[in-house]
Amino acid sequence: MKLKHVTGLLSAAAMSIALAGAAVAQDKVVKIGAILPMSGGTASIGAHAKAAIEVALDIINNAHPELGKLPLAKNAGLAGLGGAKVEVIFADNQGSPATGQNQALRLITEEKVAAILGAYQSGITLTSSAIAEKYGIPYLTPESVAANLTERGFKWFFRTTPIAPDFVRIYDEFLTDMKAAGGKTDSIALVHDNTEYGTSVANTIAAGFKEKGRTNVIDVAYPVNATDLQAQVLQLKEKKPDVLLMISYTSDAILFAKTMQSQDYKPPILLADDAGYSDPSFIKAVGKISQGVFNRSAWAVGPAGSPSAIVADMYKKKSGEEMEDTVGREMQGFFVLVDAIDRAGSTDPAKIQAALKATDLKPDQLIMGYKGVKFDDKGQNVLASAYIIQLQDGENYVSVWPKANAEKPPMLPYKGW
Amino acid sequence: MRRLLWPSVFAAFAIAYPLLLSSPFQQRLGALVLLYAIAASAWNIVGGYAGQVSVGHAVFFGCGAYAAMGSYAKFGLSPLFGIPGGIVLAVGLAAIVGVPTLRLSGHYFSMATIAVAETMRLIVTNTDYVGAAVGLSGPTVARNVFDLSFISALPYYYLFLTVLAITLFITWWMTNSRMGFYLRAIKDSERAARSLGAPASRTKLYAFMLSAGLTSVAGALYAMMFGFVDPESGLGILISVKILIMAALGGAGLLFGPLVGAAILVPLEEISNNVLGGKGAGLTFVVYGAIIVLIARFQPGGILSLIQRHLRKDARPAGQGGADHAP
Repeated sequence: MKLKHVTGLLSAAAMSIALAGAAVAQDKVVKIGAILPMSGGTASIGAHAKAAIEVALDIINNAHPELGKLPLAKNAGLAGLGGAKVEVIFADNQGSPATGQNQALRLITEEKVAAILGAYQSGITLTSSAIAEKYGIPYLTPESVAANLTERGFKWFFRTTPIAPDFVRIYDEFLTDMKAAGGKTDSIALVHDNTEYGTSVANTIAAGFKEKGRTNVIDVAYPVNATDLQAQVLQLKEKKPDVLLMISYTSDAILFAKTMQSQDYKPPILLADDAGYSDPSFIKAVGKISQGVFNRSAWAVGPAGSPSAIVADMYKKKSGEEMEDTVGREMQGFFVLVDAIDRAGSTDPAKIQAALKATDLKPDQLIMGYKGVKFDDKGQNVLASAYIIQLQDGENYVSVWPKANAEKPPMLPYKGW
Repeated sequence: MRRLLWPSVFAAFAIAYPLLLSSPFQQRLGALVLLYAIAASAWNIVGGYAGQVSVGHAVFFGCGAYAAMGSYAKFGLSPLFGIPGGIVLAVGLAAIVGVPTLRLSGHYFSMATIAVAETMRLIVTNTDYVGAAVGLSGPTVARNVFDLSFISALPYYYLFLTVLAITLFITWWMTNSRMGFYLRAIKDSERAARSLGAPASRTKLYAFMLSAGLTSVAGALYAMMFGFVDPESGLGILISVKILIMAALGGAGLLFGPLVGAAILVPLEEISNNVLGGKGAGLTFVVYGAIIVLIARFQPGGILSLIQRHLRKDARPAGQGGADHAP
């Protein structure tokens, strides 16, 4: 009996020493909060984004000289803070703007994070960044695209991802080039669901196209998670647009592909706006009957041995999935944020804010296909951009546009099955 | 006097809470408890006292939330101005919806209310004027104190406490009025109540309208605190279910039941999310759900009824007797 007590005491003593040791080590830890959907309908994206951030943490906290010019890779930890390690506190937003805001408050006041990354869904980014703004903590969103996020006059809010006006420019230039290559691009159908993503992107593209003189645009809306899309496909078959621009989540994208096959309908050009068409499950389900679909993506694997190829490998080992655009943007945003903290040389929010404002990353310092990272007064990355990729011969997207980054020439017209 | 002892202890604690636990997160947690207690107490009027289990109260919650955000987003006014509009909207809607649906009994009424709320959610999702799927936001940076956009949760806490006190007072007053007697009679047996001349349809409709109006106030306060509403967070079925569960677990048909339910479930949800949320895979909801199942299995009358039974047991030796042994 007595021996048991002694061991108990000893282990308690040992634990307190261990804890004290940890407290000392903690002086050199930079905490960053990450608000992500870890439960609910978009939980799979949250899990993938978490894996991506953990890969980025490995790159930052350990020496990875093979990654070349990628900031923070060369040495272990943050050089600007005497080799401090970065720790990420993950928080679940449960798909609710209220929960997202509560978690932002907890991360700031309880966990004392130096900065926050989040929150995937635009509505949750909106509410959670409002708390960060009030407390004066830098907030970076790597992936929320709603236009109004950067129109609020916030001083602590930054966004690295390309947004709808960038898409307009990319699609317009791409279609101009396709016309020059002999494709038909005069009439365009915008096919979108009725979610925030679908409606806001479709509206911005329609308005942007109009400005650029593309007036022959029809709008085909459908309810999200549709069970039947016959009516929409029949409508398209009758109107015969030259270009179908699909703004759809995964399940609807799959149903469209199947319905188009059963109705034997092929548009001359099928161009997708990322989202569902980038999802590996889309390719698994209907990749074989969607040959030749164009898609927007800021991610391209690149040649073997290049930093992006190495990162893609690390991500696949971690998550078992192929790297794609969404997780790539997530990882890129995290790198930008940590790079700013490193340059700030401090966890003081104002210094990090100043460093974020001074961010000027070149394309060869990024894993994504942006033209760089540089924020305007509103916090939007003005150099955000994307490639056009195409599903060719089988189940892999290859980059086909712009020419400078193309692995293969674009294939016209849409082949289908 | 004895009857007032516990409520006054609770009231004193509620007033002192933000001073006792003063970290921003704890204060916010307190404010959230009160906010959900308001909504659940409002639901209690029709769900608890009248026994008409509405699973569509989100529609009234949404009326308030949208009215508050709309008055800012559309007219540049303080969200406070939206509160009366939200009440009018919710009470009017309750009258329109209540007349045909309150004739339904049991599950059929519940299903009808779900249908109404889901229809409204879809209509709002597709209506550009109210922001469609994007939703409406409130003032991001407060222009003046009437925008109710504070950093600290303290002002919200005392605002919500005041509204909760008013809600509970209205409920208490109602239960002791003629309407309260009618409602209890209807809950026990609607047919018997009707045969005795109680105006069942009208009484149920009034309870439904009162409940709707108070729920819309809760919705407006919610939107002001978070500064945002979209179809899912304002009109989603999860809101309806949350309100219902809080009232039912605390003790439906008891004045303080919804408050007890909110005081247990809101911290439980937040804390389980804080501890487990970052681990992924929705573990939070597994734990949260398991606790709800346990309470429902072992104390279906609600937690407050358990506490009350214990208090009575303690009081019995003092001579209160076993008269209220009835289950």
